[in-house]
Amino acid sequence: MNTTFNRRTFLKGSAAAATFLPTFNILSQQNGMTIGPKDDDIKVAVIGYGAEGEILCDAAMKIPGVRFTAVCDVWLLRRQLAKGRMRSLGHEVTTYEDYREMLDKEGKNFDAVIIATPDWMHAEHTCACLRAGKHVYCEKEMSNQLAKAKEMVLCQRETGKILQIGHQRRSNPRYMHAFNNVIRKENMLGRVTHAYAQWNRSVAPFLTVKKPIALETLQKYGYENMEQFLNWRWFSKYGGGPMVDLGSHQIDLFFWVWDCQPISVTAIGGNDYYDRQMNDNVMAMYEFKTKEGKINRAYYQVLTTSSRGGFYEQFMGENGSLTISEISARGNTVQREIRAGAPDENAWALYAQKGLVVQPKKTVAREVTTKVAIDARVSAQADGWPLPVDLLKPAHMPHLENFFFAVRKNKPEALNCPALLAYESAVAVLAANDSVAQRKTIYFKPEDFHV
Amino acid sequence: MNLKTLTMVALATSVVIAAVAQEKETLKVALPKPCFTGTPKDIKTENLEEARNGKPRDPIQVPTGTKVISKGCKVTSSDSEPIIGELGFVTDGDKDHDATTYVELGPNTQWVQIDLGKEKQVDAACVWHFHGEARVYRDVVCQISNDPDFIDGVQTVFNNDHDNSSKLGKGKDKEYIETNEGRPFAIGSVKGRYVRFTSRGNTSNEMNHYTEIEIYGKDL
Repeated sequence: MNTTFNRRTFLKGSAAAATFLPTFNILSQQNGMTIGPKDDDIKVAVIGYGAEGEILCDAAMKIPGVRFTAVCDVWLLRRQLAKGRMRSLGHEVTTYEDYREMLDKEGKNFDAVIIATPDWMHAEHTCACLRAGKHVYCEKEMSNQLAKAKEMVLCQRETGKILQIGHQRRSNPRYMHAFNNVIRKENMLGRVTHAYAQWNRSVAPFLTVKKPIALETLQKYGYENMEQFLNWRWFSKYGGGPMVDLGSHQIDLFFWVWDCQPISVTAIGGNDYYDRQMNDNVMAMYEFKTKEGKINRAYYQVLTTSSRGGFYEQFMGENGSLTISEISARGNTVQREIRAGAPDENAWALYAQKGLVVQPKKTVAREVTTKVAIDARVSAQADGWPLPVDLLKPAHMPHLENFFFAVRKNKPEALNCPALLAYESAVAVLAANDSVAQRKTIYFKPEDFHV
Repeated sequence: MNLKTLTMVALATSVVIAAVAQEKETLKVALPKPCFTGTPKDIKTENLEEARNGKPRDPIQVPTGTKVISKGCKVTSSDSEPIIGELGFVTDGDKDHDATTYVELGPNTQWVQIDLGKEKQVDAACVWHFHGEARVYRDVVCQISNDPDFIDGVQTVFNNDHDNSSKLGKGKDKEYIETNEGRPFAIGSVKGRYVRFTSRGNTSNEMNHYTEIEIYGKDL
């Protein structure tokens, strides 16, 4: 007895679409997916249905009022995957190999475009869509070339359309609570003088595929071969290596927390393990000058030969530190500094009462002894106060929701990561690779961040 | 040869047969290369097994001479028109993960069914859904039967549907994170012709995927 739901059997058995749609709506609602087409749906196309495009579209399809109508990818297999998966979730799409043909033929059928192509094509795709009157959600990094990232900012300004860049932590409720409430509004950490972030990954070979795209097709779209197409982040023509791929997310957070720009970056790194074009490890130190004229420093590390410690960010203040990660199990606490003069546990209990943190069941008491002289330079281990906020949706979903809200309300000011904001962090991230290449400190001028 | 002698010979023979039948060896599963890519996702799911932190699973003992009996066998599915890939991928012997080596079935509860050709002794199985990233497939159920419609004589040999959301009964097995190791499990000499694997989406999306399934056993 087959009690499972077979969508094609069901489709074949449906006498009319009128029967299908309401039934599908019920099934869709049960699965937390979007419901059937409505007149006020935001119609969406995607350019680039690779792994990232797939993640974004899966998340976007869960947002009520979002309806996909077109998909563009140079790889037939990915177009087939997108079409089939979207159909199975109630979205009928037309697929295209070339984005220009999609804009020409299908442009009237969508309002917004999600762009998840390799970095080197972001500016071309974004500007073409903005000029065609579409709103755009473009994956980070804006580009592997700063001039192209600037072009995107200018194009957004020229067209007045909405352009969100995919630094999705900017819309993550855990990060928003930690940065906006814990650090800024309530100043729980005191002055945050230092930050540290890392993204360490294990050794991994290049991606391969047993049935590649025809070389003629790849070269038509500017890729030398399948290896470069699949592993584009490691080739300077298409991407910026792990520093740009991973660092862009985390270095953006330094800007968010301190609300200012860096004055310098000093980075070392290299292509020391793999025989690849881009740096496989980078260690970068940034100096940020606050609006009050204070200097804060941040250290960033990306490794691709060891996953030790994984990926997380730390913000260290005089009264406490925040450890946070997009995966909450890897970082979701505030640690109280235990030293003379720092706010005591009772003071922090008030923060817990306000809902800023959760009071731990057992906290570390300040070490006291009458027999041994404690070195005043050594403080007791800080205790962890968990953040009370969790993200129960896919990681990219809140950022997409923020984008579609801005589109629906036609409110660019509602965006959590508009183009100019993302441009500022792109300046800092791309400069780290320059610092490695030139083996010297790169100094920024305020105008470097202006467009 | 008198009756007493015959009886003793028969008894001795049955003891030898039983001893041979009980001879066991450790199941050896040939693993594909590991292939995790991209950013790990926050996996939130109930009923997940404890992290093994690199520790291998307990070895599976199977009768001596147990072999892969599923390679090349015909595969059918609740979703006869997969979104990408082919049902034949499930038993083609290729366990490597890449964008072209798995079959994707639609959302909700879906199954694939392997026809072993005739009734066989099934001692173990291993399933690789999609091992390109850490994810958990929901309601993984393995059943064996001689009935292709799985109405009569159905034996459930693995079931981690802890809340019976796929309506095949409540299972006691734990959910697990996909890796290149797949999920091997002992079955214990169940006889049957058809082996059915069920799942209900995964922690990354609503879809159901299979890269490879291996059934280990022998002819009767």
